[in-house]
Amino acid sequence: MSQTWLISGSPGCGKTSWILKTMLSHPGACGYLRLDGHSDIGLEQASNSGIDQAFLKDQIPQLLDLSETQHASRSQQGDLLALIELPQFHSPQHADLAGIDPRIKNQLEALQLQPDRHLHFGRDHELPSKDKLEFQKLESLNLSLNRSVWDPPSLNTFWFELVNGAYGDVYRAKALMNLPDGRSMFFNWIVSQESSQFLPLQEISDPNGRPASLSELVVQGKHLDCLRIQSTIDLCLLNDAVLEMHQMPLRDQQKEAIPSS
Amino acid sequence: MNHAIISCLHANLPAVEAVLNDIDRQGINTITCLGDLVGYGPQPNEVVELIRKRGIATCQGCWDEDIIDGLNACECSYPSQLAERRGHLAHQWTDDQLTDENKSFLASLPTSLRRDRLLFVHGSPNSQHEYLLPDMDAFAALERVETAGADILFCGHTHQPYVRELRDGSIRVRLQNADHDCDQGEELTLPMRKIVNAGSVGEPRHGSTNATYVIHNDATDEVEIKEVAYDVARTCQAIVEAGLPKVFAWRLSHGFEFAEQAEDASHVCER
Repeated sequence: MSQTWLISGSPGCGKTSWILKTMLSHPGACGYLRLDGHSDIGLEQASNSGIDQAFLKDQIPQLLDLSETQHASRSQQGDLLALIELPQFHSPQHADLAGIDPRIKNQLEALQLQPDRHLHFGRDHELPSKDKLEFQKLESLNLSLNRSVWDPPSLNTFWFELVNGAYGDVYRAKALMNLPDGRSMFFNWIVSQESSQFLPLQEISDPNGRPASLSELVVQGKHLDCLRIQSTIDLCLLNDAVLEMHQMPLRDQQKEAIPSS
Repeated sequence: MNHAIISCLHANLPAVEAVLNDIDRQGINTITCLGDLVGYGPQPNEVVELIRKRGIATCQGCWDEDIIDGLNACECSYPSQLAERRGHLAHQWTDDQLTDENKSFLASLPTSLRRDRLLFVHGSPNSQHEYLLPDMDAFAALERVETAGADILFCGHTHQPYVRELRDGSIRVRLQNADHDCDQGEELTLPMRKIVNAGSVGEPRHGSTNATYVIHNDATDEVEIKEVAYDVARTCQAIVEAGLPKVFAWRLSHGFEFAEQAEDASHVCER
C-alpha cells in the first residue's frame, strides 16, 4: 500500500539523513520531494537548493521525483513510500495531520499529494531527537557553484574555517562540491555535531573540463560575512589552465587502463 | 648555562615583546632567533628593528628569504592554492612596508648558526622551506641531524614546538671492493641526537594562542618548552587595521592546531 509522509523539522535536525535511512530500508519504490519552508520573524529559511534531492538521487538512483511524477503514475506504484521534506522552525501546534501549515497544504494539493502522516523532529518520538535545535535568529546564504571546481586542499581549509566561525557564527552548512578528478563531495555540518560529514557521490564525471552536476553551498547562521565567504571561495576555485593540469594525467591514466582493441 | 631559542616571530610585536620580557625576567642573556621575522603579521619593521636593537643572533627564515629573493623562492612549498594566494597578499603587503635598511638586514642573515655541537636553522639543514615534522620518519630525521654534524638541531618553521630524541640509531655500511673477493662491512652506532623545535612566537599553531619558545641548558642538555600569554587582541586589531586578510587575525585569535601541510612536507625546493 502506498504511503505519503510529511517530515518536518528545524535546519540540521537530521531530516535528510533519516529519510535516506528510511528509504534504504523500504523494500518498494520510493519518492521524494523537498518543499520550501516559510521564514519566521528573524528566522530565514534557506531556499531550496536541490542539494538534498541530488544527494538522495545519487544514493538511490531509482528515486522518484514527486514534483515531476503524475498522481496516476504514483498510484500504480502499489508500495510507494513518498517522503516529503519540509524545513520548519517551530513545532506544530496540533498533532499529526492537523498540524500542517495551511500554506503547505495548498502546495501539496497543487501537486496532488495527500500526506497520510506528519512527523516533526522534536515532537514525534519515532524520529531521533539528538539534534533538536531551537533557533532564535538565523540568516541564510545560498551560493551556486555550478561548473566550479575546487583545489582540494583549499576546499579542506575553507570548510574548516567556515564551520569554525571565520566568516560568522555558522550553525548549519551543507554543500555539493566538485573536485578536479570528477568526484562530487557532499559536505554536511551542524553546530551540535562534533565533526563534518564528507561523502563522495557515487556518480563520477569524466575528468574532462567542468562537470555539469549540481554544485551549491548553503550556510545558515548569524552575522554571516557573505562577501568574505565569496572572496575566499574565489581564491580556492581552479581556473581552466590549472584544472587541465590536474585532469590531463588522469585522462592519460584512463587511456592506459583501457587496452586498445 | 641557560640560553633561549625563539622562532617564527611573524611581525607580531606584542608577542615578541612578551617573550623577550619573559626571557629577561629569567636573567637569560643569550638568545638565538631561527628566523621568519616577517610575514602574516602587521608590524614587520618594528619586529626587525627590535631584533636588531637587541643584537639577537638570527638565521634567515623562509619568509625573510622570500622578501629578499622574491616569490619565486619556493612557490612549490605552499600546501594549497588558497594558502599560496593569501601568502602572496601578505608578501606584497610586507614588501611594501619594509624599509630598505630592514630588507638589507634580512638579506644579511645566514641560513644557519652553529655553536659547538648545537646547530640552529629555520626549517632544516637542507632548506629554510623544509618542515621537520614531529612524526617525520626517524631515519630521515636522524640523517638531517647527523649529516649536519650536530648533536642537537634547533629548528622552527612548523609552528608546533616539540623535542624529539633519536636514540639507538645505527648505520650499516657495506663496501664491495672489486679488487678483493671479500666484502667489507661496518656498523656505526650513533649517539643520541635531538631535534628541538621552538614553535612560534608570532603565529602559534599548537592548540593555544600562547607564544612559544624554548630554553636549553648547555651543561645538562635539558630543554624546556615555554608558553607566554600576550595581548592577542592587540595584534588582531592591528592586522585588520593594516588591511591584511581578516582570516589571519581569526587564525591567531584561536591558536588552532589545524595547519595546512604540504603533501610532501620534506620537499626541498631546487629552484
